[in-house]
Amino acid sequence: MKGSVKISVQAKRIRFDFTIRRNLTIVRGDSATGKTTLVDMIRQYVDNPSGSPVTVISDVPCAVLEGSLWKATLSGISGSIVFIDEGNDFVSSVDFARAIAATDNYYVIITRESLPALPYSVEEIYGIHYSGRYGSLRQEYNEFYRIYGDI
Amino acid sequence: MLSVFFGQMADAIYNTSAYFQYDYEDSWITDPITREMIRDIDKSCVLDSGVIDSPVLGKIPPVQLSGGVKTLILVRFEKDKIFNASTCGDNCARWLLRIAENEDRTINLRHLMDFGSDPFEIKILNTGDIVRSMSELVPIAGLFV
Repeated sequence: MKGSVKISVQAKRIRFDFTIRRNLTIVRGDSATGKTTLVDMIRQYVDNPSGSPVTVISDVPCAVLEGSLWKATLSGISGSIVFIDEGNDFVSSVDFARAIAATDNYYVIITRESLPALPYSVEEIYGIHYSGRYGSLRQEYNEFYRIYGDI
Repeated sequence: MLSVFFGQMADAIYNTSAYFQYDYEDSWITDPITREMIRDIDKSCVLDSGVIDSPVLGKIPPVQLSGGVKTLILVRFEKDKIFNASTCGDNCARWLLRIAENEDRTINLRHLMDFGSDPFEIKILNTGDIVRSMSELVPIAGLFV
């Protein structure tokens, strides 16, 4: 996959809009900013193709990678944006770095740990911040911001 | 005092959210300090042991609290266990210090947490050093994360 991908993830109460620019994006920052909620919403959407209250608008498919069977799951994913929530310790392994190098996916990894095996740029380290109410007054609007500013 | 082991630690519980799901007790949620932590970090209000009112998500169960708050609750109540506190953002740092103010706690950090500009006392278990500011903490912790 090449180029940037715009993604919008929304439900009644909350909405995330962001652009993924490279194959590796790291998301970190304060607790309770919506990182896990974002991954939960994408999982909800992907796991319920027959009907979900979550809408994901993206030119490419989205997927969630997690758990001890990550390698088997990953072998079935291509041309996708792959989200990985914190709590998945495989992200710091050399095994994982090797496995994703052989794929054409983009990866959004939620972690505060440094990942020395992965070649990501500080420009692609983001936080999530609240940006106001969108549309109806009940929908909270969130977006990504560069933690280390524009370089 | 708060003791911190920086870097990978085999004995530490890594996935704190998964641990919390089948470990938390009702009394932990209604505890006054827990209520304060939830109000401060998640901007949410504990209605009772099973329901929290979140301004964003509506009425949620305790398992839907933020990862940071769940880890803080585990650190507060599971005194003899060591948790991966890299699931906590910098906004949880003062609570980690407060929990360990009068009772010893050990946590594992896999990143450099900012404990703020106020003086504190943290024992770095990797070296045995006791540090009292970020300028003392960073050069030592930076060797391990």
